[in-house]
Amino acid sequence: MNLVRAEVERLAGRRFVQLMVVLLLIAFAVTVATTLAGSHRPSPGELSRARAQAAEDVAQMEATHTRCLRIKAGEVIPDENDYLPRNCAELDPALRSEPITAANYLSGVFVFAQKAEPLLYFLVAFLMLFGFLVGASYIGADLNSGGVVNLLLWRPRRTAVLGAKLGTLLGTLLALSAVASAAYLGVFWLIGQTAGLTGGTNAEFWGSLGATYGRGLGLVLLAAALGFAIATLGRHTAAALGTVAAYLVVWELGARLVLDIVEAVRPERWMLSSYLAAWLSGEVHFWDRFACDGESAGFCDGSYAIGWGAGLAVLLTLAAVLVAAAFTTFRRRDLI
Amino acid sequence: MSAVIEIAGLHKTFHTLRQGRRTAVDGFDLLVESGQVHGFLGPNGSGKTTTLRALLGLVRADGGRMSVLGAESPGRLPEVAGRVGAIVESPQFFANFTARRTLRLLALAGGVPTTRVDAVLEQVGLRDRGDERVRGYSLGMKQRLAVASALLKNPELLILDEPANGLDPAGIREMRDLMRSLAAAGVTVLLSSHILAEIQLICDHVTIISRGRRVAHGRVDEVLAGFDQHEWRVGVAEPERAAELLARAGVSVTVHPDHLLVAGVDDAEVISRTLGEQGLWVRELVPLRPDLESVFLELTGDAPHPALPRQVDGTAPDDMVIDLDVRESREVGA
Repeated sequence: MNLVRAEVERLAGRRFVQLMVVLLLIAFAVTVATTLAGSHRPSPGELSRARAQAAEDVAQMEATHTRCLRIKAGEVIPDENDYLPRNCAELDPALRSEPITAANYLSGVFVFAQKAEPLLYFLVAFLMLFGFLVGASYIGADLNSGGVVNLLLWRPRRTAVLGAKLGTLLGTLLALSAVASAAYLGVFWLIGQTAGLTGGTNAEFWGSLGATYGRGLGLVLLAAALGFAIATLGRHTAAALGTVAAYLVVWELGARLVLDIVEAVRPERWMLSSYLAAWLSGEVHFWDRFACDGESAGFCDGSYAIGWGAGLAVLLTLAAVLVAAAFTTFRRRDLI
Repeated sequence: MSAVIEIAGLHKTFHTLRQGRRTAVDGFDLLVESGQVHGFLGPNGSGKTTTLRALLGLVRADGGRMSVLGAESPGRLPEVAGRVGAIVESPQFFANFTARRTLRLLALAGGVPTTRVDAVLEQVGLRDRGDERVRGYSLGMKQRLAVASALLKNPELLILDEPANGLDPAGIREMRDLMRSLAAAGVTVLLSSHILAEIQLICDHVTIISRGRRVAHGRVDEVLAGFDQHEWRVGVAEPERAAELLARAGVSVTVHPDHLLVAGVDDAEVISRTLGEQGLWVRELVPLRPDLESVFLELTGDAPHPALPRQVDGTAPDDMVIDLDVRESREVGA
């Protein structure tokens, strides 16, 4: 416990961590300031105009939907301007994933319900970068400078020392991310309340946002564990940065290109970014260009999906393998 | 006296892609007993630091047996780590932490009362500079901080690798006094250093390592005595005649321009009587005792060569290579 307390203080005292927290606060302040500057509380007139326009569009969509159903039933002959999807439910405004509301027709008004998710994605991306860099530099700098050796002279249990460092990193990061994300969303909710609109924040909205929030925190921890593990394996912060840069250039760009040239089937399955997106957003859809080969009649849906379960499994496996390798190597390594 | 550090047959070979295999320690033995101030000497690359790192569990030994304070190392090292203070080479500290904070965090991690921090800062002479960032410290001050970190545990055994690195003459003297006071308080000290005069002044026992092997060990005075050739520098008015008289008396003499070098004589009286009886009066009669430096250079083959640059890592110029198998470990005294 003392070791963890000392490590928490050591981590909090690092200049790089302090710098990243300051950057986070600056990004936070800039986003809040620009949002406040670009938003206003809508007047009753603006609201009624927006509601009228929304109602008009909903009515038009309902009419299109009804016409689609009637064409399918053979009651009406379609003309050249009619759009006929395989399933007319696609046109039903009641079944839209994002219902049409007055908020869609308000200009210069911050609507929390619309912007909360993209704002959260931005924060998660920042915290992932933060977690990866802090995780890598925390152990990388210690290994490089001899700080770990110094600590091992006091606590000659390598697994315990490395475990305390990783645990401290993940625990501190989880606390920081949870507080930062909650504060961030809270401030924007207040902006919505006072200088914009909160929008349709029903239970379903909060449930969905909460799930994204939880998955985002998971990703931040995974990124930190990966940075920590790669820097431990490479004995240096730069090893982690280099590995990620190399992966992005060689695999995500280079290999994607090669897979495209050789016409590989579903190349997205081989990319970590696909699983990352799947985990964060719940599900991602990709187009399989060979799925409809030989399909000459009827409708063929050539898309395929990767769900959050597969995303979690791939990301967890990768992190677990790298962390296990880091601990095994560290236990056996000559510290010179 | 009980053994505080025991190393028997330690082997360590490093494998690198570029250089292949390199044997750093080759069957090395070391025995440090309770209460000793034990000097550990060896040229650069002789295996000193590797030995200390292996002893402290930082490097995996390929063979041999080690124990610290009766606990097998590295397996049972955690059991005694709280009683061992150590610095290996020049430890690095976070530059933006103050010395006080650095020591407080180490104390916290090691379960040592943080009240010890002020005491050790005082002990190493950093009391008034303890709240400055390590970034602004000189090499000597960083070295003092390193020693302070080793003293923090109030150790029974202190292992110091080059503690005088970067210290000015006054600092070296303070370090010497500190070692003496620790030894007087019953702390066993293992001190690795290049400053041979310091080792001779501070240590009562010494072990010399060369190319990974022990080449001498024992009490410092007894190691030196083992290399004493009983030489005398003799100043006399007629050196040629004096040399002839001494040679006739069965003494080995070398004539130098301003003095004679007499070897193999235990008692100075032999020289003064032999010459005095023939009316030659000695004006200078100085015993030439070996010092640790000359013994070290002879044992390690590190003596400078007038024509060839000395190589680190035990690689002497071809015509100076010393056969370690012939020059086996010299046991001097108990």
